[in-house]
Amino acid sequence: MSINIRIRRTIAATRHQRFCLDVDFSCPAGVTVIFGPSGSGKTTILQCIAGLVAPDSGAISVVGEDFYDSASRVNVPAQHRRVGYVFQDLALFPHMTAAQNIGFGIRVNGMQKRAMVRDALEKFRITPVAYHRPAEISGGERQRVALARALVIQPRLLLLDEPFSALDDELKQGIIRDLKQWLNENGVPALFVTHHRGEALALGDRVLLLKEGKIVGEGGVQEAIVNWQSQIACA
Amino acid sequence: MNWQALVLTAELACLTSFILIIVGVPVALWLAFSRRRWKFLAESVVALPIVLPPTVLGFYLLVAFGSYSSLGRWYQHMTGSTLAFTFGGLVVASVLYSLPFAVHPMVAGFRGVDPKLMAAARTLGAGKFKIYSQIVLPLAWPSLVTGVVLSFAHTVGEFGVVLMVGGNIPGITRTLSIDIYDQVEALNYHSANITALTLLIVSYLLLCTVYALNQKVFLWGTR
Repeated sequence: MSINIRIRRTIAATRHQRFCLDVDFSCPAGVTVIFGPSGSGKTTILQCIAGLVAPDSGAISVVGEDFYDSASRVNVPAQHRRVGYVFQDLALFPHMTAAQNIGFGIRVNGMQKRAMVRDALEKFRITPVAYHRPAEISGGERQRVALARALVIQPRLLLLDEPFSALDDELKQGIIRDLKQWLNENGVPALFVTHHRGEALALGDRVLLLKEGKIVGEGGVQEAIVNWQSQIACA
Repeated sequence: MNWQALVLTAELACLTSFILIIVGVPVALWLAFSRRRWKFLAESVVALPIVLPPTVLGFYLLVAFGSYSSLGRWYQHMTGSTLAFTFGGLVVASVLYSLPFAVHPMVAGFRGVDPKLMAAARTLGAGKFKIYSQIVLPLAWPSLVTGVVLSFAHTVGEFGVVLMVGGNIPGITRTLSIDIYDQVEALNYHSANITALTLLIVSYLLLCTVYALNQKVFLWGTR
């Protein structure tokens, strides 16, 4: 299993300020955390991998499939990449029920689809709210719906863009526990963007530290986060 | 009250609104989401009937429908008749004249859909058709209804274009607005008043529908 990411892209930090996102890294199995301050280019990396924005140059390959390669002009459309993406504000479809949201990306119809949705609802403990719309359920339940929706399509890679930022610690820990269990069972690698130390420690296996578009450090989650936090604090 | 004109006007407005749903939705989707640099040219063409005097549009349509234009000759060759001074010609003219009234609310509604929802749908494997049919259209349906209601109301009240393209043929091209004009010309104010009052009430009710929708009374709850 190999995920190789090489991205160069100019990012407009503000109206008059631009910087170049320039990263080159590989992801092993497990959860790789992209840790860094706001505006360092974390979300842009995920958007490039998902195919929502195109890099200026580089190459992205996930589990043996080339998603993007500027040299050979390959750019697989987002809808064909089969990458699970959980957005920061979840982006649940407001006019659909939880079950419809989860079933949206499933390509089979009929009994099989219903069974897959039912399994996902059970696994993420949201069966009681299956027929409720996002506006009618709690923040934690919405979070679980968003995760179930991204995972039910059996993605090659899961991208998490600070999805837990709006939750309290108790809810967050329960969801992270369920997510970790699902990822381990299914062997799906994940890239998890956050600037929250506790979340990185709870979910991550490995960390990349991003600063102004560059990777300035990487390593195991425990030592890396502790070291960087103290460095940042000293600075 | 001229019932024949009333039925004709209702038929014209219903048919025009129906055609505008079929034609207007793809046009509005394209205008809302296309990134072509020359999109402004198409936007201007769609908006032309708003600024153009109805008689100007009617005149050019009359010329286009006639046997001097290649379009008119082609239509005559295919059907054996001309579009000018027929109900069919009136429908074509009404569709063109009411196009911006249908398309503009739709474009605004489509642009109002959160782009993140469309991005999420793409990551879930949805192509353009699925995104438009299952995300954009259901979320922007009040704008669709607004577009249809406005184009219906606008067609009901048409005068200049109808007179230019359709003339004043009872049962074929004489609509309510033309009928009011005829009655006033004949100094038949009582009859003109009844017809005008009917149009006034219908227009008011249609606008009430539009504003009720704009208050988002029936919108999906979002949080």
